[in-house]
Amino acid sequence: MTIVFLTLSAITVLGALLAVTLRNLVHCLLALVLFFMGIAGHFFLLKADFLGAVQILIYIGAVAVLILFAIMLTRNISGTEGGRGSLGGAWWLGVGIATTLAGAMCVFVRRSDLVSKLPYGATEEGVVKEIGKLLVTDWVVPLEIMAVLLTAALIGAVVIALEEEKKR
Amino acid sequence: MDAIYKLIQHYAPKIPDLLALALAVLLPIAIVMGVFLTVFALLTWVERKALGRIQNRRGPNRVGPVGLFQPVADGLKLLTKEDIVPAAADKVVHFLAPVLTVVPAFMVLAVVPVAKGFVPVDLNIGVLFALAVSTGSVLALFMAGWASRNKFSLLGAMRSVAQVVSYEVPMVMAAVVILMAAGTLSSVGIVEAQRGLAGWFVFKPWGLVAFVIFQLCAMAEVARTPFDLPEAESEIVAGYHTEYSGFKFALFQMGEYVAAITMGGITVTMFLGGYLGPGSDLPKIGWLVSAGWFFAKLGIIVVINIWARGTWPRVRVDQLLGFAWKLLLPLALVNIVAMAIWHFASNKLVGWGASAVVLAVAIVALVKINTGQTFEKRSYRFIS
Amino acid sequence: MSVPLGYYLILGGVLFAIGLCGALTRKNAIAVLMSIEIMFNAAILNFVVFWYYLHNGALTGQMFALFAIAVAAAESAVGLALVISVYRHYKSVDVNEMRSLKG
Repeated sequence: MTIVFLTLSAITVLGALLAVTLRNLVHCLLALVLFFMGIAGHFFLLKADFLGAVQILIYIGAVAVLILFAIMLTRNISGTEGGRGSLGGAWWLGVGIATTLAGAMCVFVRRSDLVSKLPYGATEEGVVKEIGKLLVTDWVVPLEIMAVLLTAALIGAVVIALEEEKKR
Repeated sequence: MDAIYKLIQHYAPKIPDLLALALAVLLPIAIVMGVFLTVFALLTWVERKALGRIQNRRGPNRVGPVGLFQPVADGLKLLTKEDIVPAAADKVVHFLAPVLTVVPAFMVLAVVPVAKGFVPVDLNIGVLFALAVSTGSVLALFMAGWASRNKFSLLGAMRSVAQVVSYEVPMVMAAVVILMAAGTLSSVGIVEAQRGLAGWFVFKPWGLVAFVIFQLCAMAEVARTPFDLPEAESEIVAGYHTEYSGFKFALFQMGEYVAAITMGGITVTMFLGGYLGPGSDLPKIGWLVSAGWFFAKLGIIVVINIWARGTWPRVRVDQLLGFAWKLLLPLALVNIVAMAIWHFASNKLVGWGASAVVLAVAIVALVKINTGQTFEKRSYRFIS
Repeated sequence: MSVPLGYYLILGGVLFAIGLCGALTRKNAIAVLMSIEIMFNAAILNFVVFWYYLHNGALTGQMFALFAIAVAAAESAVGLALVISVYRHYKSVDVNEMRSLKG
C-alpha cells in the first residue's frame, strides 16, 4: 500500500512540477494530464471509484481538451513560449512564497494530531448508489445551483469568446 | 479474479499464495489480451474481405487459405519496415503517441463481461470507467498529430479532438438511459438487468433510440469511415498518422481496431444483452455458450461497422459537428424524458406507447428542423 | 496497511505549493490557468482524503469533491474563453501586457 502511494505521489508531483516548469505549452499540458491521472489514481486508491472516473472524464476528457483548444487558438502552433517570470525578473519571489507556504503547511501538518490517523474503516459497496440518492435528496439544492452555474458558464463562455466576432 | 484464485487454491493447494495471487491477476489479462488480439487480426481480414465484396473485388487471397494469413504477413511487413522519425518532430511525444493510443483501448476491455462469470474486473462503476477511459485516446491522437510537425497531421489531430469531444456528449446521454433502466453502473449488473423474454434494452423504444445514438457515436469516436475525417486521405493525406511508419503505424491501426472492438463490446453489453442468450445459464457449458453469444453479437456490430464503411460516403466537417449537436444531443435528451415516462407509467403497455410516441414526434421534429437548410457559400478570411 | 493521514496532507500541501508557484511565476495566461487547475486538484484531493480517513458513514467529503470538480470545470471554461477574448484584443496572452483597464 505504501509503495503504491509513494509511486502514485511521485508521478503526481512530477507531473505538477513539469507542468509549471516546462517551456513548451503543449508539453505543459501533457504533464498536466499526467498529474490528473495521478490524482485519479489517488482517488481509486482512496476507494472513491466514482470520483476517479469523474476526474478522468471531466479533467482529461474536457478540461485538458479545452486548454488544448485555447493553446491552439492563441499561440503559434508549436506552442513555444518566450521568456518567463510574471513578477518581472523576480521569479524567485514566487518560488520563495510557494516554498514558504509548503514549509509552513508541512510544519502545521506535523504539529496536528491528525497526522497518524488511520482510515475510518472499510468503505462498503454501493457508494455510487448512495451518492446518486443523496444528489436528489439532501443535496438537491446544490445540484440545481450547479446546473444553473454550468449553464451560465456555458453561455457566458460562448458570449465572451464570440464578442469580437460580432463587431466585425 | 477471486473465482480464479479460489479455483487455483482448490485444484492446486501446493502453489504458494503469492504465486496463486499473481496467476489469478495475470491469467484473465492474458486470456483477454490473447482473445482480443486474435479477434483484431481476424477483424482486419474480415474487413478487407467484406470491403472487397462490397466493391466487387476479391480482397486478400494470396497468403494462406482464402488469404487468412494476410494479417500475419502485414504484421511481419510492418515490423521489418524502417521506422522513420521526422527531423523536426518532437521525439519523445512522437514516440509516446502510438503507445498511448493502444493503452485506453485495452483498458476498456477490463470491464467488458465476455462470458457468464468472466469479467476481468467487475468495477461498480464499470460503464462510467469505460466511457471515461475511452476519451483518453483523443489526447494520444493529438500528441501524434502535434509531434509530427506536419500541417496535415495537425489538422487531422484537431479534427479528431473536435469530433471526439462532440460525440462524447450524446454518447454519455444515451448511456444515461440504460443506467436509469438498470439502476447500476456495473457492466455485469447491466447485463443481468436484461434477462427475460425480449428483455434486451434494444427492444424498448428508448433503448432502440439510445442504441442507434450510441452506435453512431461509437463509430464517430473511433473514427470509422463515415466519420473518418481525422484521417481523410483525400483531404489531409492520412491525418494524424501521416508521419508514422513501420511498427508505430501498426500500433495506430491496432489501437483503432481494438477501440472499435471494445466499443462494440460495450454496445453489446449495454443494449444487446451481453452474454445472455438461450443456453447461457446451463450448468456446465454455460460459460462457453455465453461467450459464443457475446462474440456472435459482437460480430453483428462489427459487420454493421464494416457495412457502413463500405456504403456511406464521408461526411463534411460542418455536417459531422452539426449532426452531433443539433440532432443526436437533443434526441438523447428527449430520450431521457421518454425513459422517465416509461418508468412512471401505470402499466407497461401505456409506457411503451407513450414513450414511443414522444420519441417519434421528437425524431420527426428534429429531422424537419435540421433538413432543408442550405449553407451559405464559404467565405475565407485571411488573417495576416 | 494504509499510510497515515499525514502523508496525504503533505502531498496535498506540496501540490498546492507547486500550483501556487506556477501561478505566480508563469507569464502565459493559459499556463497560469493550468497552475490554478493544479491548486484546485490539490484541494479536491484533500476533500477526498479527509472523507476517507474521517468519515462516519457520511459521504459529505465526496459530495464536496464532486461539486468542486463541477465548479472547476465551469471556471476553466470561462477562464479560457476570457483568455481567447483577451488574445483577440491584445494579440498576446502575456499576463504582463494586460495592464490597461480601458478596453
